[in-house]
Amino acid sequence: MTASFILRPATAADLADIMSIEHECFPTDAWAEASMRDELTATHTHYYVLLVRDNVSGTDSIQGYAGLSKLTSSEQSDVQTIAVLPGNRGKGFGRALMNQVLQTATQQGAKQVFLEVRADNPTAQNLYESLGFKVIDIRRGYYQPDGVDALVMSLELPSVLVNREPIVLGIESSCDETGIGIVRGGTLLANVISSSMDLHARFGGVVPEIAARAHLEALQPTLHKALAEAGISLKEIDAIAVANGPGLAGALMVGVGAAKALAVGLGKPIYAVNHLVGHVGADVLERGEVEVPTIALLVSGGHTSLLLVRDLLDDVQLLGETIDDAAGEAFDKVARLLGLQYPGGPEIDRAAAQGNPKAIRFPRGLTLPKDMEKHRYDFSFSGLKTAVARWVEVARDGEEEFSVADVAASFREAVVDVLVTKAVNACIDNNVPRLLLGGGVVANKRLREVAAERCAKHGIELRIPAFSLCTDNGAMIAALGAQLVMAGREPSGLGFGADSTLPVTTVQTA
Amino acid sequence: MTGFLIAIDTTAGTTVALLRDDELLAEVRYQDGLKHAETIGNAISEVFAKAQLEPKVLSAVAVGRGPALFTGLRVGIAAGVMLSEATGAKLIGVVSHDAIALEAYSLEPALAAKPLLVHTDARRGEVYWALYGGLDRHGLPVLLAGPSVGKYAEVTATLAEEFGEFNECTQGATADWLARLARKQLAEGFATDDVTALYLRAPDATMPKPNQQFGKRVSDDR
Repeated sequence: MTASFILRPATAADLADIMSIEHECFPTDAWAEASMRDELTATHTHYYVLLVRDNVSGTDSIQGYAGLSKLTSSEQSDVQTIAVLPGNRGKGFGRALMNQVLQTATQQGAKQVFLEVRADNPTAQNLYESLGFKVIDIRRGYYQPDGVDALVMSLELPSVLVNREPIVLGIESSCDETGIGIVRGGTLLANVISSSMDLHARFGGVVPEIAARAHLEALQPTLHKALAEAGISLKEIDAIAVANGPGLAGALMVGVGAAKALAVGLGKPIYAVNHLVGHVGADVLERGEVEVPTIALLVSGGHTSLLLVRDLLDDVQLLGETIDDAAGEAFDKVARLLGLQYPGGPEIDRAAAQGNPKAIRFPRGLTLPKDMEKHRYDFSFSGLKTAVARWVEVARDGEEEFSVADVAASFREAVVDVLVTKAVNACIDNNVPRLLLGGGVVANKRLREVAAERCAKHGIELRIPAFSLCTDNGAMIAALGAQLVMAGREPSGLGFGADSTLPVTTVQTA
Repeated sequence: MTGFLIAIDTTAGTTVALLRDDELLAEVRYQDGLKHAETIGNAISEVFAKAQLEPKVLSAVAVGRGPALFTGLRVGIAAGVMLSEATGAKLIGVVSHDAIALEAYSLEPALAAKPLLVHTDARRGEVYWALYGGLDRHGLPVLLAGPSVGKYAEVTATLAEEFGEFNECTQGATADWLARLARKQLAEGFATDDVTALYLRAPDATMPKPNQQFGKRVSDDR
C-alpha cells in the first residue's frame, strides 16, 4: 500500500510529541526530555519528523522521527535514533526516515554512517541491511536495564548514491509549448517554456504543422535556457524523460527524437511518460508528493479529462473526457464569434468581468438525467458553442444591442459550472477528498473561484499548482520521470513512438 | 583530420552512418518511411555498438536538412541537434539532395557529362528536386537550380528549356554519403551549422472567416 506522509525537519516545538512517541517506543530506556531538547537544538544534529494526515479531521500528526549527528570536523556520522509509532509500522515510514537521514549525511559530506541496533530487533536490522548497512561489531549488554546486546552497523556512503535524488531532464512537445524542465527528485531546478501561441493567433487555433515547426526551432535555445536556469551541465543529468502522448503526433515526434538522441549521446536512461499523468505529477514539485487518492481535472485547449488517481505510477483511471471540443477550444471559438482575440480564455475572462453570468442561461452539456447515466463524467462543449452562436446570431439579426460582457460571462459560467460539478461529483462518488486542477484553462479566474467554493462546501481539499506548472511544461514531465527513477522502474527502451491517443492508464511506455 | 563524424538522415527511411576520417565504420538503415520517431534512437545507438565506440568520441554531427516530407525530417534534425548538444560535437547541416548528387557522381563519374536532376517524391503529385552540374575543384556538387518543389512534368520542361538535356537520379539520401559530403565540406571550409529544415512548402492552414458561424442558421427567411 502507498501511505502518504510529510517529512520535515524537527524543531523544539515538536519536543512534546516526540517525547510521547519516545516513551511509547522505548518504555524501559527512553531518553530524558532535557537530552532530547539538546538533540533537537544542537548545531551538529539533523532531526526529522514524519507526519501523517488524518483524512477525517484533516490534521497532520507526528508518527515518527529520526536524527543524525555529524560533526563538521569529521567524515563520520551517526544515526542517533529512529522511531515510528507501533500503529504505523510496516508502511515504509522507517525507510523514508532513514533515506532522509542518509541523504542529509551525504549532503553534509559524511563518508560513513554508524548506528547501533538492538540484537532482539530483527525488523530494524533487516531495514538497515536493505539500505546497505553491515554489522561491524557487537557491544555486549549495551541496552540497559534490559541487558540486550547492540549490533554496531556501518554504511560506506558511496553506496547510498543509488538512493540519491536523481537529476532528470524532461521534454514536453505535445501541443504548442516546447517545454524543457529539470528537477532533482521532487525539487524544481528549471522550467523553461517556449510557446508558439502567437504564430497560431491568426488561425484562431493551434495549427499542428506550425506547432511542430516551432518545436524544432525552439529545442536548442530552450535547452540552453533550462540548463542555465538550473545551473548545471548536461553531464550532471541522470535520466531523460519525454512526453510521448497523448497530443499532436507530429509535435510529439520532435520531442521524442530529441530526447532519444540526448539519452544515447549522454549514455543515460530514458523514460517515456504520459503527458496527462505528467500534469498530475506536477504537484510533486510543490508538495514533495502527489497526495492520493485524488481526482484530477485537466482542462486545456487540447484536453478536458477527469482522472481518478489512486497511485501516480500504478493506478490512474480515466473517468471521463470531452466527447467533442476541449474546454479551451470552446473558449477560443466563442471568443472569435464575439470578435475577441486568440487565445480566447483570457479574452473571455476580461470581457466577462463586467458581465452578468446569469443574464443568459446557456445549456450545460451532458448534464440531463439521461446523459448522466451514460456520460456521468464526460464533457461536451460543442452544443454550448452552437447555442452561443445562435443566440448572438438572433441578437444581431434583430439588430438588437447586446452585451458582449453578458454573453461572455454567461458562457464562461456554463463551462465552469459543468467542469466543477462533474469534478466534485467524481470526488463524492469515489469518496476521494481531494481535487487537483491542471492544464492551461486553470488560468481562468472564475474556474478557480467556483472550484474553491464548491470544494470548501463539500470538504474537498483543492490543489492548484502554480500556473507555470499547470500549463504544458517540461518540469512536470521531468518530475514524473524522477518518480519513476526513484521507484526503481526500468527505463523505457529506445523503440517507443509518439502516441497521439496514449491512454492515461499507460503512465510509462516500455 | 575530422576524427569521428556521425551523419543522420531521415528524408526517406532512418539512416545513420559513422565515419572515422574517410573510413565508414558502421551504417544502419531502417527503410520504413513512417517510423522515424521509433527507429531514430536505436539507429544511433546501433552504429556506436557496431563500431564499439562511445558517442563522446564524436567531433562532428551532420544532419540531412531535406527537402523531404516534414514529419520524418524533423525527427532527424531534432536528434542531430541534441546529439551534438550531448557530445559537444560540431553540428553540420547538409542539403540531402547534395548528398544524393555526390553519391551519384562518385559511383558513376560519366554522369558529369550532363546536368543531373535529383528528385524525390514530395507527394501530392510533386517532386522535391535540385539540378547539379558535376563536382567543383573541392569535390563538392555544383548546384545549378533548386532545391525546390513542383510537378515533375513542369519542372523537367522548364529545366530542359534552360539547361538542355540532363540525367536523372531518383534514389533517396543515405547517411553514408551525407557523412562523406559533410566531411568534405568540413575539410574544405564549406561546412555550415545551419540545420534549418528545408520544407519548401508553407504549413497547411486556412484562415478562419471572421465571426464564423456554427451550426445551421436559425432562420433563412430574413
